[in-house]
Amino acid sequence: MKKEELKEIADLAMLELRDEETEKLKEGIEKMLSYFEKMTELDVDGLEPTTHALFRKTALREDKATESGLDGSKLVSAAAEKNGNFIVIPNVL
Amino acid sequence: MKSLEPWKNILTDSSLQKKYIDSAKEIEEKIHSFLEFRIPESLKNNKDGIFKNVPFAVKDNIAVKDFKCSCASKFLQDFVSPYTATAVQKLEDAGAIVCGKNNLDEFGMGSSCDNSALALSHNPWDNSRVCGGSSGGSAASVAAGLVPFSLGSDTGGSVRQPAAFCGVYGLKPTYGTVSRFGLVAFASSLEGIGVLSRDLEILRAVYDSIKGQDPLDQTSVSIPEDNQIKEVKKIACLSGDLGLDPAVEKAYNEGKEALAKLGYELIDCELPILDYVIPAYYTIATAEASANLARYNGIRYGSRASSSTYEEMVRKSRDEGFGEEVKLRILLGTYVLRSGFQDQYYIRAQKIRTAIAREMDKLFQKADLLFMPVFPTLAFHHGDSGLSSFQQKLADRFTATANLCGMPALSVPCGLQQGLPAGMQFMAPLFQEERCFQAAENLAKKIPVEICPDSFRI
Repeated sequence: MKKEELKEIADLAMLELRDEETEKLKEGIEKMLSYFEKMTELDVDGLEPTTHALFRKTALREDKATESGLDGSKLVSAAAEKNGNFIVIPNVL
Repeated sequence: MKSLEPWKNILTDSSLQKKYIDSAKEIEEKIHSFLEFRIPESLKNNKDGIFKNVPFAVKDNIAVKDFKCSCASKFLQDFVSPYTATAVQKLEDAGAIVCGKNNLDEFGMGSSCDNSALALSHNPWDNSRVCGGSSGGSAASVAAGLVPFSLGSDTGGSVRQPAAFCGVYGLKPTYGTVSRFGLVAFASSLEGIGVLSRDLEILRAVYDSIKGQDPLDQTSVSIPEDNQIKEVKKIACLSGDLGLDPAVEKAYNEGKEALAKLGYELIDCELPILDYVIPAYYTIATAEASANLARYNGIRYGSRASSSTYEEMVRKSRDEGFGEEVKLRILLGTYVLRSGFQDQYYIRAQKIRTAIAREMDKLFQKADLLFMPVFPTLAFHHGDSGLSSFQQKLADRFTATANLCGMPALSVPCGLQQGLPAGMQFMAPLFQEERCFQAAENLAKKIPVEICPDSFRI
């Protein structure tokens, strides 16, 4: 894997990489990817992918509001910066 | 329940409580199994039930209202949970009292607890060794007798491996039987809340209390009504070179001998498919982790880096908040999910997951249970003299199978080797936890659970 490729993935993952950790992470990822190659040994033709350990049916409930018991202002208070009941972030435009 | 009786007065009798807290502090100084240890000031509002006034601990990636829920990450080190996980709530409804939050590998990613950004935990049997992970704090606190049980989570072996390292029982239930509401998501299709205890009877009672479908978790299921419990007669064991440390191999053989003496029919089997468990597991787990951890952006909760633009804020917050192992897994997951690479990695891993489940189905047509090691080594040392992070991942091959297929598995103490606990596991078909309990109960008649010398005696 080239350094640029790692940079590209980091960009997609919204991760900023420090120079001193880049090499070690690159090594770690390459090691795992080469190990993943083992998966090519197995013939998977005709097998359906399993997306969940145990999937029976989508659980539906009545379309009715339920009481969450959660206090909205308490949820907002977990944000780093707020103004009343609003969460403040830097300008996006 | 006899084993629970002594715990019922420990908080209500003031002299017992003092002795308990003093001893817990003394032991904690050596093992650091808790990130927070806190006894409620008043027990007046506590509910009646089979766990009335019994303290218990919770891994710090499971929400308990008004306790922190740090996931052992710098990102969430000051985050206080506004609500309680369903599994915890059910225990509180039965009278139990949360007395603290256990250390873990950051977001559940690791096998030693050394990936915690907030504390370094040690094995109560030998403080120079790790307690395992990721539910290592839970296992250590239970082994040291500080609590009768603790809730952990198991994504690829995270309840069973630390249980094995610390000499306690660790149950990973059938996927979905315990609600994941309030468990911080790492790999949603694989993980679940599990139980750790030194006492099998207590563990069963806890599992009975926390299981059941929950409207707050769409993937939760109730136990099918026609679920018949089969008596265990035939137990499959792995043959061939399993790449085990000699001490673990010896313990495995001793376990098999004990089962044979108990009258079980042992069936030797080979499971070549195990070679594909780790690549498939890590492809799926990291893919899901990269999506699940996208929520940590510094906006609604968690630490936020100061910056003048939105994008920089998110990037810097994630850079400062996540540890190295978490970054590695997010990057790997992002790589395998990238457009153009999905067929090669993610989809292929999911197909292999199907192949593994088929092999396991076949095995369970021949045998009622599978008995095998939890981990190829005993508890290893901290740092460079232990196992590298890559070696630790490869070592999940015995445990991750149950997560890929959703099956229940119970890690059981299987004697001491070189003064350290060795753990084996029973794996059963879906919803057949009872088979694991039956066999474990019998095994303990031949190989009794050893109590850690340095533990709180109630």
